[in-house]
Amino acid sequence: MYIKGVGMTKFDYSTKPWWQFAFEATMEALKDAKMTIKDIDAIVFASVSSATSGEHQTHKVSFLSDLFKTNVPIIEVTSVCGGGGVAFWTALHLKEYKNILVLASEKFGDNKSEIVTDWILSAAEKATEQTEGMLFPTQNALVWQQYMKKYNATMDDLSLIAFKNHSNAALNPKAYFYKKPIELEKVKSSPVVSSPLRLMDCSLSVNGGAAIILSTDESDVKVIGSGFATDYLLTFGREDITHFKATQLAGQQAFKQAGITPKDINVAEIHDAFTSVELISYEDLGFAEIGKGAELIRSGKINLNGEMPINPSGGLKAKGHPISVTGLAQVYEITNQLRGLSEAERQKNPLPKYGLTHNIGGAGGSVTVHIFERTK
Amino acid sequence: MPFYKCSKCGRIWQYPLSECPYCIIGLDKMFANQSKVIEVSKVMIPTTRHSFVPYNACIIEDENKNKWAHKTTQDIKVGDDLSFEAKQDPKIVGVWRIKYDFIEAIERTIDLIGGINFNENSKVLILPTLISITQPYFRENTSPEFLMAILDFLLSKKVKLENIKIGSQSFGEIPIEAMADKSGLLKVCLKNNITPLDLSKLGFVKQDNLEISEEALKADVVFNLVVPKAGKAKATENSFYILKKENYLGLKYLNSDKEIAKDLQAGLPKMVNLAEAEYLQTADGLIVFLGLFLASRSFINLDMILNEIIMEKKLPEILTEMKIEEIPIAGRDIKEVQLDINRI
Repeated sequence: MYIKGVGMTKFDYSTKPWWQFAFEATMEALKDAKMTIKDIDAIVFASVSSATSGEHQTHKVSFLSDLFKTNVPIIEVTSVCGGGGVAFWTALHLKEYKNILVLASEKFGDNKSEIVTDWILSAAEKATEQTEGMLFPTQNALVWQQYMKKYNATMDDLSLIAFKNHSNAALNPKAYFYKKPIELEKVKSSPVVSSPLRLMDCSLSVNGGAAIILSTDESDVKVIGSGFATDYLLTFGREDITHFKATQLAGQQAFKQAGITPKDINVAEIHDAFTSVELISYEDLGFAEIGKGAELIRSGKINLNGEMPINPSGGLKAKGHPISVTGLAQVYEITNQLRGLSEAERQKNPLPKYGLTHNIGGAGGSVTVHIFERTK
Repeated sequence: MPFYKCSKCGRIWQYPLSECPYCIIGLDKMFANQSKVIEVSKVMIPTTRHSFVPYNACIIEDENKNKWAHKTTQDIKVGDDLSFEAKQDPKIVGVWRIKYDFIEAIERTIDLIGGINFNENSKVLILPTLISITQPYFRENTSPEFLMAILDFLLSKKVKLENIKIGSQSFGEIPIEAMADKSGLLKVCLKNNITPLDLSKLGFVKQDNLEISEEALKADVVFNLVVPKAGKAKATENSFYILKKENYLGLKYLNSDKEIAKDLQAGLPKMVNLAEAEYLQTADGLIVFLGLFLASRSFINLDMILNEIIMEKKLPEILTEMKIEEIPIAGRDIKEVQLDINRI
């Protein structure tokens, strides 16, 4: 399948409802594809949306039918933070449809942070983990401490990742932290959320929408690899808690399908829900050897001006993380990178040939990896 | 922390499944004697379910290499043993996190309050909460799962089925049989070949001011199965169902529930109160997930601790003069399980 059009709203804390984000992103994607909604044969939609604002509902597919005045099949998939990637993977498997709109939107930041945090926590296991205070930052903090002991990485390595992603987001008009770069020292001295992770190690839950139009008609960007794997909800019941098996499996599937290796990738969007997750994912995706992820960030190779920029958009960390939208926002960024349509300062020169997206649901419980090729 | 292993393929679950989906055979419960802290993170941000910070979130590992999450407000460091001290104190309340497995919760909380010595001649009366004609999910009555678990627990302790009695009575207009049927408890009794008793139709023995069920006095242990509710003293209230109805109503007219409770506690020290607080009813009848299990030989102390855990400010009259700091606790600290249910 080919990417025919992409659209994404600015990520923010505006009071717009989820469907408004969905509509805006769709219109941008349709215009990019030079299509109208009449050309769309099926829709795959991802969202969790907060229950606190009074607009949450469980029949969004019918709402979308109404919104777009269409009667095509609409499938809703949910996989929390990995929802966008799973929706994209699902759409790629709907072989009998010519043009598919893959859509995600979220209204999430709409209440006190302790309530929003609690809602996000509903993506974790209830009886044995939520009750024991395993917030997502906490789960990841515990994993990272184990990693540090095993591989001699440091908190300074994570600070470099946060600094990189904030620097990139400062150049991205659709990022929440656009034109708001943050100094490295401020990253290092931000308050502790769950030791040893600090505020600046955590991504930002925001509101937003993203839309991708997949088509069997050729275009300038082709999806050449797609992988999807799951893992146990109980984080500490997994074989190796310092790495994400689902990322490794999904990555292997995607690279095998694409017929290329991690060394061929020119640009990537990695699921940096926490800076530690980005670093561990370098290894799980094959960009660094196991235990050597810190060397990659220290080398500067993955900075915006490096050999293979990672998270040129600013990532979840600084562009923002509207839960289900993230997976499609990554596709939006990589498509524009391959097309040479990202803003000049964020654009690699010469144009990249291969791009990769990596989207995680929960604490590594569902992972998709997609690989894209510039065809022209 | 209970784990369940397939003896054929070696897969391990934290959920008490009936069988391995790969090998189609039953799972074995894994036992561990030692649990150590292998990682600690100090959490600084509050959420609605964890409003007191900081607390320590830990990874615990047992000798079988099984790992799980644990929250504590105690100072704790990597390498520390995770242990819970049991105490022989009739006033103590054992507090435990229920993690899918009622039997584990029953065993742990009874251990925490000093244990019970069962033998093959032990006689047990089970006094379920049975107060309304409602489906189990309303959490008005003892759940069928809990009753089933207590029976399994007793059988595992070699208590003979013929020595286990299940009974209660109705103080209102609703017949006890109708409540037993709708609640699903009758089905559990029949499945286990136990004929449930209507205590009101059996004998009572006068003991000072109280007329106590003969079945309760004959038993070596009376299990009071408590269904907690916010702002109520449900353990205490349910214990009154071993009194003769007329005796209770007469005493209530002349005295208060507080005085009746005091006399009953003294008159029937062999009562063990077990509260299934996995779910809890708010004052409005809404159901909230609490994930707890409590045990105590003192029903009034159990009621007080439950209301403290859910941060209930409107206490029933029976609890108003009690001092929480005078009630000994075993197992989990109140702060680490406390949940303001009015904020959920």
